[in-house]
Amino acid sequence: MRKSGRGSLIGEYPAFDDIYCGLRALRRMPKAVIGETEKAVELARRFNREVVRPRALELDLRKQKDPDYLPWDLVREANRWGFYTMFIPRIFGGKGVNFPALSCVLEELASGCTGIANLVGVHYLGVATLCASWNIRLMNRVMRDTVAGYRSGEPCLISLAVTEPDAGTDVEEVELVRKARVSCHARRVKGGYVVNGRKIFISNGHLSTWHMLIAYEDLKRPQSTTVMLAVRNGTPGFSFGRQEHKMGQKACPASELIFEDCFVPDENVCVSAEQSAGLLGGAVEDAIMQVIDYVVSGSRAGVGAFGTGVARGAFEEALHYAASTEVEGKPLINHEWAQCLLAEMYKNVAVSRLTYMETNYANSLYGMFKVLNYRPVFYLFKYLPRPVIDRVIRPLLDLDAVTRLFRKIYFDWQPPPFTRRTSGWASLSKFAATDAGVRNCQLALELMGRAGLRHDGGVEKHLRDSKLLQIYEGTNQLNRLNLFKCLIAPSVPGAVVFDE
Amino acid sequence: MSEGVASLGADAELSMLREMAASFAAGELLRGREEADRFPFSPLPLATLEKAHGLGLFSLTLPEELGGGGRGTEALALLLEAIAEIDASLGGVIFVNALAQEICLRSGAREALKGLVEAESAAQALIAFPAWDDPRFTAPTVCAVERDGGWSLEGKAEYVALSGLARRALIPAVTSKGGISFYLVGLRGEGVAVSDPVVSLGLRACPCHDLQLSGAEAAPVGEEARGKEAYEEAYIRMLPAAAALSAGILRGSLREALDYVRQRRQGGRLIADWSEVRMILAGMAAADQEAEMLVRGACRAVEEGGPGWRLAVRAASLRAMDLACEATTDGIQLLGGNGYMVEYHQEKRFRDSRQVQALMGTQDMKRQEYARLLLAEESPEWGRDVC
Repeated sequence: MRKSGRGSLIGEYPAFDDIYCGLRALRRMPKAVIGETEKAVELARRFNREVVRPRALELDLRKQKDPDYLPWDLVREANRWGFYTMFIPRIFGGKGVNFPALSCVLEELASGCTGIANLVGVHYLGVATLCASWNIRLMNRVMRDTVAGYRSGEPCLISLAVTEPDAGTDVEEVELVRKARVSCHARRVKGGYVVNGRKIFISNGHLSTWHMLIAYEDLKRPQSTTVMLAVRNGTPGFSFGRQEHKMGQKACPASELIFEDCFVPDENVCVSAEQSAGLLGGAVEDAIMQVIDYVVSGSRAGVGAFGTGVARGAFEEALHYAASTEVEGKPLINHEWAQCLLAEMYKNVAVSRLTYMETNYANSLYGMFKVLNYRPVFYLFKYLPRPVIDRVIRPLLDLDAVTRLFRKIYFDWQPPPFTRRTSGWASLSKFAATDAGVRNCQLALELMGRAGLRHDGGVEKHLRDSKLLQIYEGTNQLNRLNLFKCLIAPSVPGAVVFDE
Repeated sequence: MSEGVASLGADAELSMLREMAASFAAGELLRGREEADRFPFSPLPLATLEKAHGLGLFSLTLPEELGGGGRGTEALALLLEAIAEIDASLGGVIFVNALAQEICLRSGAREALKGLVEAESAAQALIAFPAWDDPRFTAPTVCAVERDGGWSLEGKAEYVALSGLARRALIPAVTSKGGISFYLVGLRGEGVAVSDPVVSLGLRACPCHDLQLSGAEAAPVGEEARGKEAYEEAYIRMLPAAAALSAGILRGSLREALDYVRQRRQGGRLIADWSEVRMILAGMAAADQEAEMLVRGACRAVEEGGPGWRLAVRAASLRAMDLACEATTDGIQLLGGNGYMVEYHQEKRFRDSRQVQALMGTQDMKRQEYARLLLAEESPEWGRDVC
């Protein structure tokens, strides 16, 4: 193993900065983050108690009976509670709770129902994608739409449309998309793009108002012609297709989105291939990969939180069962083997939580949250009076110079080791926590037998819900490869990834 | 009854049985399995059950003097494996019924099984049973009371498989003597309330209901308070059959995965050409072979006996059930997002494998019991808790 480049023992593999993200981040973390996170978790627990747990099983059954049902009532409820604006920065009109706290909220919600947690979490996948383009003007417009939706009571969610019928895993990696069979075409025309194609498995698709659409100017060169567009419901040529019939996570629809000669104006272009060419000194593919890395470094921490939550849900059901069931004449909870099993399940939850927290520390130091979590910026945005934001800050957001500044910070001034660190940790959290989620559900079933098999017991739903976590946001196999690429391969001369 | 498995003769015809089962599954189950799996939100495939009854699939292990096929565990395992490869739900129906019959036989209650083969309908032939409980470890929640020379049942029997289909149920109950006793109760008689179907993780076309029994008239099966012994004898003979369900589900998952990886492309190549995909495939294929060998070995152990055969049956069956759960998880993974969708049937196999794993008690209690028996081989006092 060669040195990682710092020229000292501390930089040798594994580099200190790669393995102790939290230690470095704590020094820089604004203290108010703790209080904000505590309040966010408290709200999520209250929402769980009052909304999620009483409705989760009923909604799952309803969806089994009527696969086309859309849970608008729950989305409105989540909107009313403020979950869709909670993590939108205050400069864009949101409540501005620190973004890493989203993972904690998602864990809480997923411990009750992963499908409902997705109704909230997937919206922020859309937000994160929008943010990764650093098109500040468009970010401001779309996120203020969500804020308006909160005020009016009509939810305005944002989805991310990436997966296509013949391209799933490989559109999350530039090296793979190069050879992928993509079909969503964006033809450059005067004043915008004309899009044709289909997207499938789009979480929250039918429930969202805005869709962050990934398309390609040249289907034979997708790796260097990727465009990201914001498409609003009602745009001519855009329509919804069917909902997929999934095993679990039924609260969250997986939608087909259809684009037929759909014109998207320039003002709704998050980032074009042409704009990508202006970043990172013209290395278009690197710029596109950078966008992908920003998105997945955030979103995979979120999926890690889902995995942690479902692992916790299964643990809590198993604990309740063990405490209330007698086996061979004594409470199951007092059998030593059951205690060891429950300890194992608790460990799975705790370790999973540590992985997404570490990923968030990495993101706060080196990734998408680094500006917002920089102490002076954090406190400025937190305490700046709303009228000042509206009168002074808001007009600035429409200036091209602001977009250019943010792109400078997030692309040109972003050292590759920073991206490797966030992306590698995000992949680690994604597959570690989601494997733990499935594992805990399995352990709960093996402990509970028929009590776990019954729908009204809750555990079978957790198991069904958990399996999808190993698949979306890149299969766990792809995430293992990405971890290797980011955190292992750089230390091994000659190691090549995605080139078998 | 039409010509079916009961008319088969020598052991050499086991392969014919397997072929017949595979052909029945392909012809009768393949097309409707997705719809049947939506139960209770879709109707049960009653016509298929009638055909299965006509072919003698519900009486394969009944003694010949009762009109049954007179077959042993191996034949039942072959049948279940072939059916479960396509759709394990019917396998579940056959299994539950065979388990109930076996308990009756081991209790010496042959009378209770007369006329099943000639029954006009599947409903009359089938016997419902709480097949996901092991009454040796979980005390029954039903009491049997002797009254005016007869018996009546009181209490709630949860998760009784086939109770929405069958006319009779075999229910474990406690009496004033303690211990476990079995009773047959008519499901349409007075004092019996059958709940709505319980929505379950898997085997959805092998439905379960809760029963509320309030003075329901019941006929004793075997000697009072001797149910544990009868159950143990039935249990050990049926474990390989449950494992065969697992093996069949596993094989179905492997075949679906193989078909898929040969067609699906990602990153510019067939996913079968990805070495990590091959690693997963190799694991599934090895599990498939292992499960098949384990089931065969367990069946032989049941039929041939010999030192330690009960331990061997338990070990092999537990392992086969675990393998199916692991492999069907990979079976979804190899299909990616498509594997999670109902159209590809991998998700059903994932669910069914867990449902089968919990047959006849929780997997953890099966492990505990196995360890105690293992220790008791050397020092009998270790096995004192096991009947």
